[in-house]
Amino acid sequence: MTAWARRRTPLLGPFGVRVLLWLLVELWVLNVADLLLTRYSLSLGFATESNGVMDYFFRSGTVQAVAFKLGIVTVGTLLLWRLRHYRTALIAAALLTGVFAAVVAYQALWVLSF
Amino acid sequence: MPRPLTGEGETPAGESRSPGASAGPPPLAPALSSGAGTRPHVSEARALLLTALVLLAGVALGAAGFFVERGMSTWRPEVTRTATGWRIVQAHRAPLDGMVLGGNDLVWGCGPSIVLMDLPSGRLKLLGPGPAARATWDPSVSQRYVVWFEAAPASAGEATAWVYDSATRRRRQLATLGDVLSLPSASGYRAAWCTTTQDGGPGIVAVDILTGGQVPVAAEYGEPIIDGDLVTWPTRTGPTGLPAAWVLVDLAGDRRWSLVPATTLRNAQFLGYDLSGRILVWAETDPASGRGRVVAQNVDDGAASVVAEVTDGASLSSAPTIDGDLVVWAETPAAATRSRVMGRRLGGGPSFLVRDVDGRVLSTAAAGDTVAWLAQLGQTTFIETAQAPR
Repeated sequence: MTAWARRRTPLLGPFGVRVLLWLLVELWVLNVADLLLTRYSLSLGFATESNGVMDYFFRSGTVQAVAFKLGIVTVGTLLLWRLRHYRTALIAAALLTGVFAAVVAYQALWVLSF
Repeated sequence: MPRPLTGEGETPAGESRSPGASAGPPPLAPALSSGAGTRPHVSEARALLLTALVLLAGVALGAAGFFVERGMSTWRPEVTRTATGWRIVQAHRAPLDGMVLGGNDLVWGCGPSIVLMDLPSGRLKLLGPGPAARATWDPSVSQRYVVWFEAAPASAGEATAWVYDSATRRRRQLATLGDVLSLPSASGYRAAWCTTTQDGGPGIVAVDILTGGQVPVAAEYGEPIIDGDLVTWPTRTGPTGLPAAWVLVDLAGDRRWSLVPATTLRNAQFLGYDLSGRILVWAETDPASGRGRVVAQNVDDGAASVVAEVTDGASLSSAPTIDGDLVVWAETPAAATRSRVMGRRLGGGPSFLVRDVDGRVLSTAAAGDTVAWLAQLGQTTFIETAQAPR
């Protein structure tokens, strides 16, 4: 990598890579939790899938929805892991994990309150 | 000109290190003295702590969003537990209405919202409307199911019937209907309502809640009530609203007959009716003479008895309701701003006071020994529940 590129995308040290790894693990687990909670909420008949793509797959069938959701996030996490030497990958993983945690927390509270 | 690539082993400026240069034996690597090599668990713990902070920040954001949204909801009333049941008070602009009671479920409307309270726990659930609907009609409740209608803003008169199963906590669409010509009525695993049929005329149908299958009951207009296998609706109402007769259809026996109301007062206004088992109860009130009656009538032999009669300027303030042998109604004493919720068991004994209510009772409901009433005081509506004495 050139010094120019390094100035634009600072590199991660071993500690940053470690953080990235744990964030990606959390992201994957949260994705599974999101899938289960969404499926349960839909089965109750009170919720609707607002994501048009996921709505299409949920209408196609549970297996298709599971395959797509797990597949797309697995590919995404592997891509971020492949880019693990870039600090941008860490920032992206942190943002995604935070957003997923917010969504899962909201859904979990909704299900518990119901 | 691009600068040469430099990596981890970049040499200090001024020094050169060519691959082919021989500089004696390679230097020994110094022993690790600190950092990741000696205490890897510290670094790991710090990494986990950092990711946990990200996770916590997300959870806090999601929880905040949930509670903010919950606080902004306009259907949620103020709920307090009383010595004998619950007191539910309108907390926003939309008044409470369409209150019904069945099993352990107390259900009411609040604006377009259909709200259910689980009586043992006091937990509230918003049953409707769904995301695509904006309008709802008063619900009906059986022992286990809640049935109501919803319609989209531009539905051209079409509505959908929805059912909530309190045993499975699931909500699903029950049927699509044309014009809503009556409210739904639910009993057991059946519901009945009046809607436009395929030929455009009105028709009363009975619907199996489990399968959604519909059975035509009559090709005519009516506001049906169903209880068990029996469906009834009043016909040919006069100017006071009092029906000339009730039509009764036994779904199990495929039998239809009429019942003429007995012991009627002259010029009395009809307040409404209810059905439980083989007993029809209805109420009439004559403001001019200051009299009112609650009448129970057997649907098979037509035998009628006066359950309650108010005189001396008092008036009945709501239609009666019946469940099993318990009849409940509300009356307002002369020149009073308060109401009395009254009850009487058809098996015997005099009428009894369930509760003296500060305000005007709009409707009553009964299920088992539980009694509920919807009342209004000033601009505020409220629902209360109590247990009827045995």
